[in-house]
Amino acid sequence: MTEPRSTLERARIEVGLSHSELWFRYFELGGMSTALEVEAYLYDALTPTDHDRDMVATALNERFAELGGDHPIAYTDDGDLDSIAR
Amino acid sequence: MAEYRAVDESLGVSDIAFGLTTLYSGSQVVVELRGEVDVLTAATFSCVLDALFEAGGRDIVVDAAELEFIDASGLGVIGPMSSRLRDSGGVLTIRSPSPMVRKVLNVTEMGDLIEHRTTDPTSAVLGPEQRSGDASALVTDAIPETDASDAVPLPAFPAGNDVIDAALRLVTSLARATIGGADGVSVSLTRHGQLTTVAASDETIAQMDRDQYATGEGPCLSAAAEGHWFHVESLADESRWPQFVPRAIKDGIASILSTPLIVSSRPVGALNIYSNTDHAFGPLDQELAALFASEASSILAEARTDMTTDEVAQRLREALTTRKVIANAQGVIMGQQGISADAAYANLRQTAKRTGVNVSEAAAAVLGSVLRSDLIGQVRR
Repeated sequence: MTEPRSTLERARIEVGLSHSELWFRYFELGGMSTALEVEAYLYDALTPTDHDRDMVATALNERFAELGGDHPIAYTDDGDLDSIAR
Repeated sequence: MAEYRAVDESLGVSDIAFGLTTLYSGSQVVVELRGEVDVLTAATFSCVLDALFEAGGRDIVVDAAELEFIDASGLGVIGPMSSRLRDSGGVLTIRSPSPMVRKVLNVTEMGDLIEHRTTDPTSAVLGPEQRSGDASALVTDAIPETDASDAVPLPAFPAGNDVIDAALRLVTSLARATIGGADGVSVSLTRHGQLTTVAASDETIAQMDRDQYATGEGPCLSAAAEGHWFHVESLADESRWPQFVPRAIKDGIASILSTPLIVSSRPVGALNIYSNTDHAFGPLDQELAALFASEASSILAEARTDMTTDEVAQRLREALTTRKVIANAQGVIMGQQGISADAAYANLRQTAKRTGVNVSEAAAAVLGSVLRSDLIGQVRR
């Protein structure tokens, strides 16, 4: 991926989700990592699999959409570079 | 491929064929069903009813006013749950079924579950086809909203530790239902320096835990003390815990898998899975046990932080329902396209992004279109 992992943490702060709410959303999407592991992904302390990372990104993107925005965080399997966060 | 395109095109908002909302009113729990309950969606329905039962719900009303279709798998959920409730002094009532659903219930001798009160006259006049016009309302309802502002208070669940226990009972019942070979599941926690069983699937299992506390040994105690899992593949060949093992064998238990619950890097209890068969648990079961143990740990950890315990219980119930919908849709796509689980997930996510809906809504639409084409197939046959 071209973006640093901390993009996820910056996005989390931007959309105003607590770590636990983000974990619930990630879990709801089918995520298998614990809350602590997800927090570690955001702080770059652990490297998630692409699938896990995309699931966290999905949870954040859906929150952006709720707030009336686009899906600014790109997925690892995205062909379309336009959508990568600036 | 053509078949998938049909699914893709049908991602319109009016195509979600199943919705479920749980409302609490005093000690009564109302489960509103919308759309169609069949082999795909019955699992979700069953999961929710089980969870409500395990959490202590004894007066359960299934509101069928907007239920358009129910097949044998849906009836197979209602029948056993009704008996289970009756056996424990509770009751399951079906409210406002459409004439068609009423007929199905009568034919299957479940007509006496229908609530005795004047039904809404419109439900007698409007057939399911007419009512499907307002199906757009299902989009937001199909998946419980994550917004806490519409969270219904949970008077059915007492406050404080009891709410955590209710959430743990939910995990217990889901683990019991999900893990192949599990004949019973319990969660033990250290409270006031002592291990206590806070959730057990039945009395034999609760007794298994008590036997371990009484003898001061056993896989549950070891897992809770040492913080790693203990797997007893066959109690008959087990030499550890010489006092506990004979008691377990006497009660018909043959294998045990105990996984620790960890909060802030410290073991605080264990999730225990018991089977009447030896060598009942394989690697996948161990993985699932670890997942459920981590859910239980999260409940305990979250309980100390920024969410109240009943918010945690509510969110967990919602999240588990949604997970099921997504997993089912993933399965459908894998089957249709012959691709891996991850690829099916990516597919769902890309569709969601392209059509401006959530992954869970896209998943519900996939399931909806499958149900619909099945139904059309049945009519044409």
